[in-house]
Amino acid sequence: MNVELIGICKTFGPVKANDNIHLRIPSGTIQGILGENGAGKSTLMKVLSGFIQADQGVILLDGKEVRIHSPADAIHYGVGMLHQDPLDFPPMKVIENFIAGSPGKIVPNSKEVIARFYELQQQFDFALDPQAHVDRLTVGERQQLEILRLLWLGAQVLILDEPTTGISSLQKIKLFETLRKLAAQGKTIIFVSHKLEDVEQLCHRVAVLRRGQLVGEATPPYQMDDLVQMMFGKVVSFGGRESYKPGEIALELKGVSIEDYRMRIGPVNLQARKREVIGLAGMEGSGQLLFLRACAGLIRPTAGRMVVNGKDLTGKSYHAFLKNGVVYMPASRMEEGLVPGCSLMEHFVLARDQAGFFVDWDGAKKTARDQIAAYNIHGRPDSTVESLSGGNQQRALLALMRTPASLILMEHPTRGLDIESTLYIWSLLKGRCSDQDSAILFISSDLDEILQYSDRILVFFAGRVSPALDAASISVDQLGQLIGGRGWDAF
Amino acid sequence: MQRNKIQWTNIAFQLGAVALALGFTTLVLLLADAPPLEAYKNLIIGSFGSTKKFSDVLVAWAPLMLATTGLLVTFTAGLWNIGIEGQITLGAIFTTGVLRALQDTSAAPTLILILAILSGMIGGALWAALVGALKTFGGVNEIFGGLGMNFVATALTLWLIFGPWKRPGIGSMSGTEPFPEALWLPQIAGLRLSIWSVVITIAALICIYILLKGTYFGLRLKAVGRNMRSSFILGIPTWQYMMASFLLCGALAGLAGAIQVTAVYHRLIPSISSGYGFLGLLVAMLVNYQALWTLPVALFFAALNIGSIQLPIVLKLDSSLSGVLQGALVLSVIIMEGVRQRFLKAARERS
Amino acid sequence: MKLHTLWRFLALLSILALVLAACAPAATQTPVQTEAQTEAPVATEAPAETEAPAETEAPAATEAPVETEAPAEKLIFGMLLVGPYNDHGWSQAHYDAGLYVQEKFPGAEMIYVDKVNPADRPGTTPAQLAEDLVAKGAKLVIFNSDDMKDSALEFAAANPDIYTIHASGDSAWKDGKDYKGLPNLTNIMGRMEYGKMMAGCAAALTTQTGKIGYLGPLINDETRRLAASAYLGARYCWSEYLQKDPAELSFKVTWIGFWFNIPGVTSDPTQVADDFYNSGYDVVISGIDTTEALQEAKKFNESGKTVWAIPYDYIGACKEAENVCLGVPYFNWGPAYLKQIQLFTEGKHQPVWEWNGPDWTDINNPDTSAVGFVKGAALSADAAAKLDEFIAALAGGLNLWVGPLNLQDGTVYLAEGETATDLQVWYLPQLLEGMEGQSVPSN
Repeated sequence: MNVELIGICKTFGPVKANDNIHLRIPSGTIQGILGENGAGKSTLMKVLSGFIQADQGVILLDGKEVRIHSPADAIHYGVGMLHQDPLDFPPMKVIENFIAGSPGKIVPNSKEVIARFYELQQQFDFALDPQAHVDRLTVGERQQLEILRLLWLGAQVLILDEPTTGISSLQKIKLFETLRKLAAQGKTIIFVSHKLEDVEQLCHRVAVLRRGQLVGEATPPYQMDDLVQMMFGKVVSFGGRESYKPGEIALELKGVSIEDYRMRIGPVNLQARKREVIGLAGMEGSGQLLFLRACAGLIRPTAGRMVVNGKDLTGKSYHAFLKNGVVYMPASRMEEGLVPGCSLMEHFVLARDQAGFFVDWDGAKKTARDQIAAYNIHGRPDSTVESLSGGNQQRALLALMRTPASLILMEHPTRGLDIESTLYIWSLLKGRCSDQDSAILFISSDLDEILQYSDRILVFFAGRVSPALDAASISVDQLGQLIGGRGWDAF
Repeated sequence: MQRNKIQWTNIAFQLGAVALALGFTTLVLLLADAPPLEAYKNLIIGSFGSTKKFSDVLVAWAPLMLATTGLLVTFTAGLWNIGIEGQITLGAIFTTGVLRALQDTSAAPTLILILAILSGMIGGALWAALVGALKTFGGVNEIFGGLGMNFVATALTLWLIFGPWKRPGIGSMSGTEPFPEALWLPQIAGLRLSIWSVVITIAALICIYILLKGTYFGLRLKAVGRNMRSSFILGIPTWQYMMASFLLCGALAGLAGAIQVTAVYHRLIPSISSGYGFLGLLVAMLVNYQALWTLPVALFFAALNIGSIQLPIVLKLDSSLSGVLQGALVLSVIIMEGVRQRFLKAARERS
Repeated sequence: MKLHTLWRFLALLSILALVLAACAPAATQTPVQTEAQTEAPVATEAPAETEAPAETEAPAATEAPVETEAPAEKLIFGMLLVGPYNDHGWSQAHYDAGLYVQEKFPGAEMIYVDKVNPADRPGTTPAQLAEDLVAKGAKLVIFNSDDMKDSALEFAAANPDIYTIHASGDSAWKDGKDYKGLPNLTNIMGRMEYGKMMAGCAAALTTQTGKIGYLGPLINDETRRLAASAYLGARYCWSEYLQKDPAELSFKVTWIGFWFNIPGVTSDPTQVADDFYNSGYDVVISGIDTTEALQEAKKFNESGKTVWAIPYDYIGACKEAENVCLGVPYFNWGPAYLKQIQLFTEGKHQPVWEWNGPDWTDINNPDTSAVGFVKGAALSADAAAKLDEFIAALAGGLNLWVGPLNLQDGTVYLAEGETATDLQVWYLPQLLEGMEGQSVPSN
């Protein structure tokens, strides 16, 4: 099926997620969509698969204009998107999941369905047990189930969003094989990824998105440097980087390994020194979050030692880390950072050590006023945190961080903030870094931010961690390629 | 101007909630072929008609209020302590146990009473601690844990009344052998009311009010209740605080049980909790967990309970009508709150 | 936020206000309304005023003494019923007695509260409810359950002006173990022992398997002696009229824990009756206040099994299932209550302990007999004739509480030729030898 997107626009508030995108994908093609986080890839795919509706623009399928209002609509027209998050699956057996999506009939003939299931699965050499429970399947097996299900529903266009995350290399080979087979049958495959290598191996064509716009298309043989530049744009080098004078070791990791159900990180060796800023770069979900949380004591490493200020805190709780001067600033402010329903003043009391049994509310009010002024928060001591804007919430989070702190760990310290707030927050952070002898580790998906504020950089790719790279000497290209999973052989 | 308008819409909605509850109850009365005005009149007379009646309302109010006060603590921590019924019961059992053990000794009655009431508080706290431990260490939701523990508490009471603590020769639903009057909380002459139960209740309310409004403990508890994850990141030991809230609520529930034994029934009876735990949940919900407002609302609920006895006597109506009114009130306040939110949202979107 | 809660509070206040407003004009009329049917307003206000001191209607209050002196025909009596007034059992027997008094004694008016037990009326005590009845004008209050003993005593002591009748107690029995000597407390009880003997006899004459089940309530003196009476009647008729060996008669008592089913608290009487019928007991005598045994018998009968039941307490109990009902021993409280009310209005009442037997000239005479037995449709003509013979023998002085009788544990209860005194019967310490089942509650 030929897919044609004409002038797709979608805005969320002030953000243009898709800005007049034109894209034509002929039948039988494996089309790659590249772009960094927030480039607009997912929005575009959601428009095509009916999860959201575009503000403007037209979708043509085989030259016919269609209006897609829901995922059910999409599959009716032959467009299907794969789910692979375990939460997207109700707790059912494989065959029940398969039947549940079946169109039209209230009571499907399960014998017939099972026969059809085996027939389909044989075609692609899958070996799923129809009686197995879906929640026991691996990510790769769930993908296979989804492919079968969508094909059974009559999908002519398959959309896969980051399908190679969390599956084994064998499963990946199988997946690619399947996709090629499907393309050969005339199906249209849309493959969304940030992994340059995967795209290079698989895709017949590539489109690159940046900041909501289609910035370029390419066909093999791909020029990696060009793709990287299209993805990340020209990074302007900010002059006048201050040279830093690192102090003693604030955090030392010795052979630390971290695991969750999706990936295994490490072993990592790292020494973070006081007055040093280390940026953690990588596509989201590459392991940097796990790593940062392990540094805060929120996740226990499976191996290795963690030493904070010369004290071995391996296996200790988050609160023990906190007592030893480690502060953690999560990205989801209202979920993990602030307490909705509590005022700014109450937050300042909560974040500081208890003094006596009764709260000195007058004193607390004064502290709150001082902090509000010092951090330029637009709010009153009795404002509840949910009434603040995002930027003010972020500044409040910063104001809440305990002092003195020898190690500051932050997820996306300026995500979603305007440029003014970003500059202000970094000036505060840099100030703390040098005045209070803190080491800072932060995650950002903004390469500009990483390059501008870091002294050293750790790059993460699918659980692999690069050595700490000197930010002054690394080029944007190099960094972009590393983030995309290329050039790791050098380490 | 704008603010004023919002206020008036709020009043309208609150009045709407009350009208809804009264309307519903009136409908029930009409369906039962009973005169609604007569019924309401009897409710009022039966609860506030005389000093004696009002004192009876206070007798019911004290334990209800203690239970509600305890629930304020667990609600602040974001917990649904359904197990409060069992905690009241265990308070009563511990109190009865101590009274039985000491009633034949030479110890001063006052001392025995104090010990009995204190152990009632301990009993309630222990029972609550079990629910808390099930939640913290066993991953059992406090609602299910609490329901289970309520069941066990009832079974325990019955076993004691028909077994080890049975009256001489007989086991009877009327409970254990009544305690001598020296072991009652002193009553006001001619009334069933003990001034001590009122004093204890008000003292407990004041303590909890101060604890929740003025202390680090209260503030942290509130934070834990509003957002456990953020509280943890902020450095609050969350499960310890949840456990503490269970203990505190259990102690107050146990106190309510102790009052039931020492000031109301003067013995252990099968349904010693009188359902005040569940009623307390309704009160707490109705006042949106605001400590001070529980006082008049609990009084109102106690008055409904006492006043409703007139219904079967005078109108041959089932006294569960008071329960209908209480339930309808809570539901309609909640419904109206939802409608108000939608209305305000719509109004904001229009403007 | 704060404003919001303020409104919430105001709203609650306004409910009170609304209700108060609605009632305010009517409130002052209360006493008139409750009594308006019978008397002139001034006269009727008087009794109510004296009972409710908080009502401040000065002129009426001053008139009060004058009016109470006048021998008003009208008398309000209150009744506290442990179960529902229409339970086809114990409580309905009392309720019907109240109606009987109203009918026979012009001017008497009953007010009552039913379901007076801690499960149904949490947070109240019978004494408190009795005071509510007094506030409504009751001069005499009847407590109808043994479980209300503490409250009856407390109430009688606190309200010396009110004549208190406690059905089934022993606090007014001078020779009893628990004599309290209150000047305004009377105990009334029927000699149901005879009714139970008749029930036991009917069961023994009917059973095909020789196995009789007794569905007992909780265990106390009263229930023990009633179960034992049923056994004595059964054993007598089994050996005298059927000429069978008493050792072949099996008589088993299962206690449920209370006078009626309280789900989750007592054993389920339906289940207990089922168990009896399923394990070969083809007649179940009910000792509880409700009719589960009869209903189960009906169900088993419909499924083709030949079983019977004997309900208890209430004269009309058999109506629920005539074809399996062998009869019902019942209480007739009316005459005793009527007598006490008459004495009370004449000012001649004395605290007494009455244990009233059947009127042997006609045990079913509604005006004279305190205890009766109505034969059921399921009782065969032959058995009915033998039962009549038995009743006649009892009327003629046959006493089954005569030795030799042993207690369940084998100790001697009555020696050869010894006749039990009222005290011995009332306070029977155990079940009798030959009966199966618990004598005392287990620990």
